[in-house]
Amino acid sequence: MIATLQAFFQTDLGIVVLTLLEALALLVPLLIGVAYLTWFERKVMGAIQLRKGPNVVGPFGLAQPFADAIKMLFKETITPTGADRVLFTLAPMLTFGLAIVAWAVIPVNNHWGIANINVGILYLFAVSSLGVYGIIIAGWASNSKYAFLGALRSAAQMVSYEVSMGFVIVTVLVCVGSLNLNDIVLAQRHIWFAIPLFPLFVIFFISGLAETNRAPFDLAEGESEIVAGFFVEYSAMSFALFFLGEYANMILISAMTTVLFLGGWLSPVPFLPGGVLWFLLKVLLCLFVFVWVRATLPRLRYDQLMALGWKVFLPITLVYLVAVAGVLEYLGWLPNA
Amino acid sequence: MIVNLAFYFFSFILLASAVMVVTSRNPVHAVLFLILAFVNAAVLFLLAGAEFLAFILAIVYVGAVAVLFLFVVMMLDVDFAALKEGFQRYAPVGALVALVLFGELFLVVSGWSTLAGAPAARLYPTPDNLTNTAALGNLIYTSYLPLFQLSGMVLLVAMIGAIVLTHRDRKRSLHQKLSAQHARTPEQTLRLVRPELGAGVSVPASEKEAT
Amino acid sequence: MTSLLPILPALLLGLGAMALLIVGVLAKPEPAGFTTWGAIVLLVAAALVSCAAPDTLLFHGLLKTSLFTRFADALVYTAAVAALLLALDYNRKEGIARFEYPILVLLGVLGMVVMISAADLMTLYIGFELQSLALYIAAALARDSVRSTEAGLKYFVLGALASGLLVYGISLVYGFTGTTSFAALAGLLGANIGYGAVIGLVFVIVGLAFKISAAPFHMWTPDVYEGAPTSVTALFGTAPKAAAMALFLSVMTGPFGHLLAQWQMIIEILAIISMALGALAAIGQTNIKRLMAYSSIGHMGYALMGLAAGTEAGIQATLIYVAIYVVMSFGAFACIIAMRRRGQAVEKISDLAGLAAQRPGFAFAMALFMWAMAGIPPLSGFFGKLYVFSAALNAGLVTLVIIGIITSVISAFYYLRVIKVMYFDAGAPDFDAVPASVNFVMAVGAAVTALFILLPAPLITAASAAAKALMG
Repeated sequence: MIATLQAFFQTDLGIVVLTLLEALALLVPLLIGVAYLTWFERKVMGAIQLRKGPNVVGPFGLAQPFADAIKMLFKETITPTGADRVLFTLAPMLTFGLAIVAWAVIPVNNHWGIANINVGILYLFAVSSLGVYGIIIAGWASNSKYAFLGALRSAAQMVSYEVSMGFVIVTVLVCVGSLNLNDIVLAQRHIWFAIPLFPLFVIFFISGLAETNRAPFDLAEGESEIVAGFFVEYSAMSFALFFLGEYANMILISAMTTVLFLGGWLSPVPFLPGGVLWFLLKVLLCLFVFVWVRATLPRLRYDQLMALGWKVFLPITLVYLVAVAGVLEYLGWLPNA
Repeated sequence: MIVNLAFYFFSFILLASAVMVVTSRNPVHAVLFLILAFVNAAVLFLLAGAEFLAFILAIVYVGAVAVLFLFVVMMLDVDFAALKEGFQRYAPVGALVALVLFGELFLVVSGWSTLAGAPAARLYPTPDNLTNTAALGNLIYTSYLPLFQLSGMVLLVAMIGAIVLTHRDRKRSLHQKLSAQHARTPEQTLRLVRPELGAGVSVPASEKEAT
Repeated sequence: MTSLLPILPALLLGLGAMALLIVGVLAKPEPAGFTTWGAIVLLVAAALVSCAAPDTLLFHGLLKTSLFTRFADALVYTAAVAALLLALDYNRKEGIARFEYPILVLLGVLGMVVMISAADLMTLYIGFELQSLALYIAAALARDSVRSTEAGLKYFVLGALASGLLVYGISLVYGFTGTTSFAALAGLLGANIGYGAVIGLVFVIVGLAFKISAAPFHMWTPDVYEGAPTSVTALFGTAPKAAAMALFLSVMTGPFGHLLAQWQMIIEILAIISMALGALAAIGQTNIKRLMAYSSIGHMGYALMGLAAGTEAGIQATLIYVAIYVVMSFGAFACIIAMRRRGQAVEKISDLAGLAAQRPGFAFAMALFMWAMAGIPPLSGFFGKLYVFSAALNAGLVTLVIIGIITSVISAFYYLRVIKVMYFDAGAPDFDAVPASVNFVMAVGAAVTALFILLPAPLITAASAAAKALMG
């Protein structure tokens, strides 16, 4: 029986089936995680603001995400007049889909990624840079001024912060000598990159906030000025897809931070073995900071946001990249891939 | 087999979206099809085993260049009727040029035979034991270093050009000077006075700020 | 590669441009004068260093330096310095004295130097793009003037098309031969070749012909010459022409040297159309800048004649022609820049009427340049034509020479008309005083043009050595 199965998984069809199964094994926990992230956020923010947060539906409000999902499902989908129907429906799917496909290369444990490709980090970067299309298409297709303004803000913001994010990633790559995410984690066996590259770690995380349009960079939504920005016209499931996409992106950025700077699945304690649990713990820590920041910081003004990206982060990352490369070269520590 | 199928599938989408770029009535749709074409080209690179090029194409063209492109097109109010008018008028000429070019291409492809010495002349054959990212890096930063640097100069010129042609110093705009704000102390900005009843306070000229 | 000396000029230009850029950004108010003088100093320094550079092949055969490249470099440096001197006063008066302009010129010259020393198709392309991009921006420098922005846009769109064709041609050649190196190509492209390389070659020729504005790829020239600020036009008319012509020579005789039979006819046709168009289309012009545009198209036709000969003597003739043309051209542009009435630049030919009575020196200089361009002995322009014609005759291109003689007779008409307007038409141009920098360029140009006959040997031997270095 096992032998036949093994033989089957060697064939073309078998590989496809196996990959689908792997994807399922990753996606189901991921989607549940996304659902409970909303609960987690409300609970944490409640605690920070001395409230209780959701506590009615189920014990500790644990059934709240499902109640929300059911509510969303049964609401009416409204398409505004003058909207570009095809693009209007496509945009939320794109946002959500891209947030999901990025997970294909994330190694949650040693060689546990669905696809262990040798340019994994480029893949991640490419997929996250595509994320802007969901927003910009939604903004345009809604045929609404608020939505369009939100889309423009968000597009400019994401393109700006991607630049410094790219330089941070390049600096990490200089230290690793490989674009493979598995190798990046393994290169941190001795020391997590968050320590020697601390400023970049901070910059990466802040840029991550900007990439996901989270507070204090949520000008694309800006509910006090442009109502809800790019998804002002969306309702029901299409709204839910944007919502889920945003949270999936948060988890993704946290996972990227974990892989690039916090040593992925590696154990911080010398005696304990590494594993998925460590990975989850670190991702959770990052997510907590996401929520913490949202509960604490006020929104930036738009020119401050642009100035921070271009005049602070970009020069720092550029100089740091050159400095890191110089130090590694001088000490002869450059990895030879 | 799967690779072949994938190749034809993605090439078909690539060509179809390229056609749609030209024929779309709506400029935004045209740009979106262009993006689709880029993505498919990236996939074709991937199928050819050039994964670095594929993702760089996606990051640079799709992730950055096309976003700005889309940005501009969305904000423009393009009158497509007027554009189509010109299209009708120049279509015969365009078709003729296309035909001639196609004929030339056909000649080239049909009579194609690389020189006998060509494979040997290839400067840098693909190495076996390296990922193509590493192979590219080994070439770009050694043999082709001056070209790499000069490409940087080309981009520098483009940057200078963008600034020269568009940047205007707005004399009247209100700049926020963070350092000046932070350096202010209460003593400089605040003076507590106890006004006498009915006499009011006279502000010395030196404290009157020009607005 | 043991020493940096051969690429020191390029390093000087590139790093110097960046240093000036930093100064320009930080200094207040805009230090346009400072960056211009800085750029001139850098260009002179680069010229001196390049004279001392040894002959080598650099960076695995991407770049090479030889007597030929030094000859062309010297031309480019001279032309660029002249253009910057002309811009010094003009840009200020026109309100376009941006500190970036000299920096763009420096980077453009860097591109030209790279183009000239290219020993690989990729180097060629990048140099080509670098200088084109800098020039597109320069053309639109007067961004508040509709004509200038139109010139910039037109130049950009057509230039992009041309470089697209060039790179397409390069890709065909690469696909056919598997290499982009000049030396390897010269070895591979023997007598027996397929369509691929020939069509690639044709596209490469189109791209280069666009850059030197040889007809029928000249469409941009009159509009860009007219629309761009005159100080920029003075640059367009000289440095890039010299660089592109040098590149043309080195590409045709280097990698495609054995394909002479394939390209000779194309070059001949280009030369004939350019000469004819330059002669005929210029007749109706009333704007002196447009006149200069058509004149430059014609001159490029004559210069191509030497290349069409395909011999060492032909290359030498083309080099001599281009060198003489560059000097005449910046002299003539110095005169055009000096045409300024009550602070307003004027550019109609009729504005020159009566100049001889008011400003005999100015008028005489202008007359000198027009005479030289028409090719009337004993001025330098005559010798240029003489060398080109004799090289073509020796190569058996009799038709080409006959057409050349006919067109130079026709074109003499409009050059002489300018002189007639200055000397015999009634009028009072009342031009403003000419600034010293412009006077200097004008005087140098006039002196070289007039006195070339007394001391022709240095240029002719240098050109001969350069041609030998290229063909040898």
